[in-house]
Amino acid sequence: MSLFDIMASILVGINVTMKVTLYGMLYAVPFAFVFGVAQHFTNGIPRLIVTSIIEFWRSSPVIILIYGFYFSLPGLGINLSAMTVGAMVLGLNIGGYGSQAVRAALQALDPGQVEAGYALGFRRLRILYLIELPQALAAMTPTFINQFIQLVKGTSLVSLVTLADMTFLAKALSQIHYAPAKIYTALLIVYFLMCYPATIVGRMIERRVSRGREVSHDL
Amino acid sequence: MQSALPPIAVALSNVSKWYGKFQVLTDINLTVKRGEKIVICGPSGSGKSTMIRCINRLEGHQRGKIVVGDTELTNDLKKVDEVRRDVGMVFQHFNLFPHLTILQNCTLAPIWVRKMSRRDAEEVAMDYLQRVKIPEQAHKYPGQLSGGQQQRVAIARSLCMNPKIMLFDEPTSALDPEMVKEVLDTMVSLASDGMTMLCVTHEMGFAREVADRVIFMDAGQIVETNAPEAFFSTPQHPRSKLFLSQIL
Ligand SMILES: Nc1ncnc2c1ncn2[C@@H]1O[C@H](COP(=O)(O)OP(=O)(O)O)[C@@H](O)[C@H]1O
Ligand SMILES: [Mg+2]
Repeated sequence: MSLFDIMASILVGINVTMKVTLYGMLYAVPFAFVFGVAQHFTNGIPRLIVTSIIEFWRSSPVIILIYGFYFSLPGLGINLSAMTVGAMVLGLNIGGYGSQAVRAALQALDPGQVEAGYALGFRRLRILYLIELPQALAAMTPTFINQFIQLVKGTSLVSLVTLADMTFLAKALSQIHYAPAKIYTALLIVYFLMCYPATIVGRMIERRVSRGREVSHDL
Repeated sequence: MQSALPPIAVALSNVSKWYGKFQVLTDINLTVKRGEKIVICGPSGSGKSTMIRCINRLEGHQRGKIVVGDTELTNDLKKVDEVRRDVGMVFQHFNLFPHLTILQNCTLAPIWVRKMSRRDAEEVAMDYLQRVKIPEQAHKYPGQLSGGQQQRVAIARSLCMNPKIMLFDEPTSALDPEMVKEVLDTMVSLASDGMTMLCVTHEMGFAREVADRVIFMDAGQIVETNAPEAFFSTPQHPRSKLFLSQIL
């Protein structure tokens, strides 16, 4: 089998990889914003609760959570599909990291921005989405893109719960044709080709963001 | 001056405030009539910012009473909104929104808070940008303007909300010396239009020209209230004297 043939066979699994990525984003993005903002807004006990939830998803090993949810929840009568478990665990894990980018970007803003909003008669939520988030978005985009890449790579873990993604197919192939070096090289190349465009976009945005900062500092 | 019973713009009675155990304001009493111009000075840390920030509820007070127009400030958000509708504020560091153009900075609140149409809001904004003498910068971003220009935009942005009272917290102290005059000129012109103004500033020229009263604060208290000329030439309180000898 040539490298190309192998890549072609692996690519059959790309729709599963992409599906997990996409559904994962549907968990990650809302989680990142809701919990990042919640952490920014709260104090004391509520903040402690918000932080614990974030830390649970961010700090637990993804593979253990996937196994845990997939193999243990049915014992409690909760049956989630492998796709749901994979997307949710990977998404919330990435979302946990994302929430920290959201919080950090919001907290890096000059508190004078919020005060100016209040002084002009805005309520808190309006200030958040008209004044704080538009400014913070630029700062968190590079992190978001990095996390998107982490998510794409992380989807390879769903192969452990029976989903026939690219990694699953590669594993299956290497059991039939004993050529692991060739097969896993092909797999790496495929993941690289998926992630590299995101890296480039990320770099472009990062450059634009830092240029924007220079302009606003350059009084 | 003209009417026998001038309406009161702002009244603070026995206002006290603490940060934890630290008392920042002690028994502040201050009544500002409509159209009156008050200059507030005093050493750094004496509570000047805190006092004026209580007037638009950027800070809450723990004791005493603050009435703005005919609204008493409490935790009631509706009351706070009412007061903020009538009170504009200009900050030491301008606090313009860097992601919006000058024009958008001026129309954001009129559109979202006052529910004006974009066209009306832009018309009003251009009028005020004309008044602060920078209509040609309307489509630039704050970062492209000088400090003095930014502060004039900040004044225009406030005026677009049609406030009845303006608070200034050291509006010129973050500026390069050559830009102080353009901002003070804008404030003088605002004063001559009859705006009620409370200005924290150490610009004596401005105080002499514009202020009806100078208030001197120290350690969270109003220590002296005087006419500007008298305050600067013959201050009454030893702490005012000491302060003036240090800044002169
Ligand atoms: N958020 C805060 N928490 C605790 N202390 C504060 C806070 N803001 C101001 N202070 C303290 O209150 C005092 C008065 O501050 P401020 O009103 O800013 O003084 P001024 O404007 O006259 O320089 C200062 O001692 C300052 O350190
Ligand atoms: Mg101050």
